[in-house]
Amino acid sequence: MNRLVVQQIVKRYGDRTAVSGLSLEVGEGEIYGLLGANGAGKTTTMRMVLGLIMPDEGKVTYFGKPYSRELLRTMGYLPEERGMYPKIKVSDQVVYLGQLRGMSRKEADSSLKRWLDRFEIPEHYDKKVEELSKGNQQKIQFIAAVVHRPKILVLDEAFSGLDPVNVELLKATVKELRDQGTTILFSTHRMEHVEELCRNITIMHRSRPVLQGAVKEIKKQFPMERVILSADHDVNGLDKLPGVSAVVRNEQGYEMKVDHPEAAQSILQHALKQGPVRRFELKEPSLNEIFIRTVGDRHE
Amino acid sequence: MNNLWTVMSFTMKTKLRGKSFLTMTILISVLLMVASNLPYLIDKWSSGGGAVKVGYVQGEQAEIVAAVDRYLGTIEEPKVALVPIEAPAGAAERSAAMRQAIEDKRIKGYLEFKPGQDGVFPSVTYLSKKVFTGDASQQLQAALLAAKNDAVVKDAKLSQEQLARLTAPVSFDALQLDELDGTGKTEQERDTAVLLTYVVLILLFMSVMFSGQMIASEITAEKSSRVMEILVTSVAPLQQLFGRVLGTFIVAVMQLIVFVAVSVVNLSLPHNKVSFASLGIDFGSIDPIMLVSAVLLYLAGFFLYAMLFAAIGSLVSRTEDLAQAAMPVTMITLAGFYISFFGLNSPDSSFITICSYVPFFSPFLLFLRIGLAEPAWWEIALSVAILLASILAIGWLAAKIYRTGILMYGKRPTLAELRRAMKAYKV
Repeated sequence: MNRLVVQQIVKRYGDRTAVSGLSLEVGEGEIYGLLGANGAGKTTTMRMVLGLIMPDEGKVTYFGKPYSRELLRTMGYLPEERGMYPKIKVSDQVVYLGQLRGMSRKEADSSLKRWLDRFEIPEHYDKKVEELSKGNQQKIQFIAAVVHRPKILVLDEAFSGLDPVNVELLKATVKELRDQGTTILFSTHRMEHVEELCRNITIMHRSRPVLQGAVKEIKKQFPMERVILSADHDVNGLDKLPGVSAVVRNEQGYEMKVDHPEAAQSILQHALKQGPVRRFELKEPSLNEIFIRTVGDRHE
Repeated sequence: MNNLWTVMSFTMKTKLRGKSFLTMTILISVLLMVASNLPYLIDKWSSGGGAVKVGYVQGEQAEIVAAVDRYLGTIEEPKVALVPIEAPAGAAERSAAMRQAIEDKRIKGYLEFKPGQDGVFPSVTYLSKKVFTGDASQQLQAALLAAKNDAVVKDAKLSQEQLARLTAPVSFDALQLDELDGTGKTEQERDTAVLLTYVVLILLFMSVMFSGQMIASEITAEKSSRVMEILVTSVAPLQQLFGRVLGTFIVAVMQLIVFVAVSVVNLSLPHNKVSFASLGIDFGSIDPIMLVSAVLLYLAGFFLYAMLFAAIGSLVSRTEDLAQAAMPVTMITLAGFYISFFGLNSPDSSFITICSYVPFFSPFLLFLRIGLAEPAWWEIALSVAILLASILAIGWLAAKIYRTGILMYGKRPTLAELRRAMKAYKV
């Protein structure tokens, strides 16, 4: 039995349906990606998983059991819109949140100190949150979500608003938590993070799950249709080749769209006839493209 | 239970550490210190400046002046002193001389005698640059009346005994009848009760307003800073709500204890005892029942309004919108406060009696009635029962609103939207 099982949940607000018929399962030591445009129902789903609101239909089980208040202590939540008490010391509020989740003051304090060391900001222990930079506030927020060592962690847009260095730091931390066995439900707009972190994903669109499964499997469903070519010389007549539907020339070379993977081979042969080729790649579609295509298709 | 305590102590700790709390407590303590010494200070200043020096033309109306002087001599702290001024004859020269004396600061003003209507006693005018203060004016009038009596009585050839009887003051006292045991409240006790009622009403009002607004604005701040999202996933909303209200309550009580201590210490300073006694106020005469009911009604009033303010705070997403949303509750509090002030003058009126059964007003008005009127025990019981029932009902409703409101963002929800949301959240 997986740790977190969501079965056919439905949530309606009045006559508007926020989530409709979503199911997913997340195991121990797994990061599950929840993707979708704004208003697709990600936050509502997460709120149902957290037990803040009850689904109208379907159910959520944790460790095989239905929701109960005691479960809160095993869960951590990083909300999309960050919030801490601006005028209260970091130590005071993180320890407070840890205590609310069943830790003793001492445990919470030492856990906080460990995390501050991990993020290399131990000097912020005694500072007020409003005195910190935005990136450091985000780190504190993250610590507040994990200070009590949750078994199920819900991260809503965990990396938004961070600089690349901090994104890497946080990403490494999330992977560490995963390797320690934490079950993580993860939502984002940034597809590159999903490809790197998530085993399974759900793409939601207008309250419905439109694409679900393992990232590798999903990618296989979409044909490889992008070809990258760069050579030291100009390559002529690419657009006349059969099966090539679009050619874009950029600084590094050419980017083409092909109707079927075999057409790529004829591009390579064609280019080689005109001179040496520095780079040739038949690219699998990125999640970004898959996302745009899946969600974009349904816009009509 | 554990979480309730955690929320409570966090609420208390953040408040006690805050600068605004400390500033407020010190500021109000200083004000109380000044206020409780005020009767003494007023005494000191008005007598410290000495009596008002009133000039008269030397030699004019010698008999009357002598009688006035005699009368002023019998008063312990005369507010008026007569100063003879030498002035030449002639109305214009005389008034010039008097004005000069005022300019020289020898006197504040002067008396002018004109023939009176009855022909016996002259009419007297006091001329000065500044308005005569009440006390001094009254004393001077009384002194002149005494002088007139003297003048009239002298012709009647009364014996000393008759004279003494004539001038003996009338003994007049107002006594409040107590229906239960026939013992009445003396005027002094009544004045003290009015003062105590006054003070308790102000304290109740201020405490309710400050704590209520504080609770509401904290909840809204937690919503707008989105700390709420983490809080609701950590602790049950009810525990959160009650922990916060209890924490704020304890802080408010601590503050009140400081205020009361400051007042009591200052009032029991020896110099103040005399000043208050002269105002007819004796703190020893306070009915202990009044103190007990003050504490109990304060408790009730606090929780009633705290719950209301908490519910409102949970509905608003931005601090800017809070004042507007809290307006109805603020108005109700103000109404209760003002009605009770009206009631200070007529605690027995049926309007006050009826209003004392309205739960939002009863913390104010029931106390007023217990202190100043004599409500029957069943009236008190009924009022308290209604109050307690409404606290439970409002607490229950506030908890429901709170549970729903803290997850609603955006514009302030209408009642219909709120009801729909409650259904959606299954609270």
